[in-house]
Amino acid sequence: MSILLRNIIRFVLLLLLQVFVLNRILLHQSISFNLYLLFVLLLPFNLPRPALMLLALLMGLSLDMFMNTMGMHAAACVFIAYLRPFIINVLSPQGGFETTQKTPSMTSMGVSQFLIYASILVFLHNLVFFSLEVFNVGSFLYLLLKIVFSTAASIFLIVLYELLFFSRK
Amino acid sequence: MRNLIIFLRRYFNFFLFLLLEVICLVLVFQNNDFQKTAYLNSANNISARLYERYNNVEYYFHLKATNDSLVKENARLHNMLRTSFDTVILDNIVKNDTMRQYGTDTTRRVISTSVRRYLYKAAKVVNNSVTNPINYITIHRGSADGIRPNMGVVGPSGVVGIVRSVNEHYAVVLSLLSKGRNFGTSARLAHGKEMGMVRWHGGEAGYATMEDVPKSVHLVKGDTVVTSGYSAFFPENIPIGYVESTEEVDKASTSFNIRIRLATNFYNLQYVYVIDNLLQDEQKSLEDSTYKLIKQ
Repeated sequence: MSILLRNIIRFVLLLLLQVFVLNRILLHQSISFNLYLLFVLLLPFNLPRPALMLLALLMGLSLDMFMNTMGMHAAACVFIAYLRPFIINVLSPQGGFETTQKTPSMTSMGVSQFLIYASILVFLHNLVFFSLEVFNVGSFLYLLLKIVFSTAASIFLIVLYELLFFSRK
Repeated sequence: MRNLIIFLRRYFNFFLFLLLEVICLVLVFQNNDFQKTAYLNSANNISARLYERYNNVEYYFHLKATNDSLVKENARLHNMLRTSFDTVILDNIVKNDTMRQYGTDTTRRVISTSVRRYLYKAAKVVNNSVTNPINYITIHRGSADGIRPNMGVVGPSGVVGIVRSVNEHYAVVLSLLSKGRNFGTSARLAHGKEMGMVRWHGGEAGYATMEDVPKSVHLVKGDTVVTSGYSAFFPENIPIGYVESTEEVDKASTSFNIRIRLATNFYNLQYVYVIDNLLQDEQKSLEDSTYKLIKQ
């Protein structure tokens, strides 16, 4: 399967999963499951940055359309898309990652590297998103708890997704 | 000039990032202006249709509960039919939709005539959320069915929200579950008659707070909180919730905050009724002209 096709399918799949399954799970008010940002995380390494940001904007706005949040998801998505290359640069070994696989994954980056990469970006995403959503300095503790719990929940889902869809080579 | 271009090219990514973020933030902070952005919310064709399809499947699993609530609602409506009518004493008013009350004696004289004030329109819920700080409900009724923004929406058992934006066939309702100042409705205790304001402060979807209730109130646990009829959105005496307990905000304040259990179960909302207040324009124009007189 070509990388383009794979990403298009992933876009639609993650959007539907997020809207119809994950957003309907009620565990606790401070835990929300965000998996859709995995689309941004798994875009190919060599994609130029403007394209990265525009794709993130598209994903964010599509989700906003369903959630009536108008721009909140988009802002958070563009934010992590901008920071993604920095994080990858910091994490990559001398001479970059091996180019047998062109997208970030547990096999191409190594389990620990990928987990650090995902955690940082998910945390930053949730930081921006929940700050915009709560938008109230008074409920700082609630905001902090929400960010921490939701990040943990999202990372759990991302690990599950990785284990399901990537064969170890 | 050349340096400027080089500078811009060098930091192109960063400027693009700033531009996109600004676009997003403008969208976020404009989102109170629902009419302008109506095409980008869940009432638009793509997302609303998808939601409707999904709901068609989900609806099947709720059939039993929906039936139960409809039967209950019917019984309640039979009892309360007259409360949606406004009594008029003048004899020479001709209105299309009136209800006459006859005396019980043998002459059966007309003792009063009522004019229809509220019109209920049933609508199917196609999307609903309870987890966000501001929750919206999408319903399958739109401007084609005479739905306009700022109409009250009630469910089978109580108040649900207010219509915010309208499309041809869909409308988005601002749910009662909207944090803080986004939504507040004037309320009254059924027994005590004390007035207050019902607001939701986040947290569980089943509970809200009735604020600014005078301390002289005699509270009974389980007392019904109903709409006061002072707002133009809802008729009088529609249940909002039931008194659960009081919270003392601070000893010096002169008012109570009462925690109430909401009458509407927002978790399995399937049908709602949009209320058209036929006399709203009349009331509003009178009030506005009075305010103007006072200002002069």
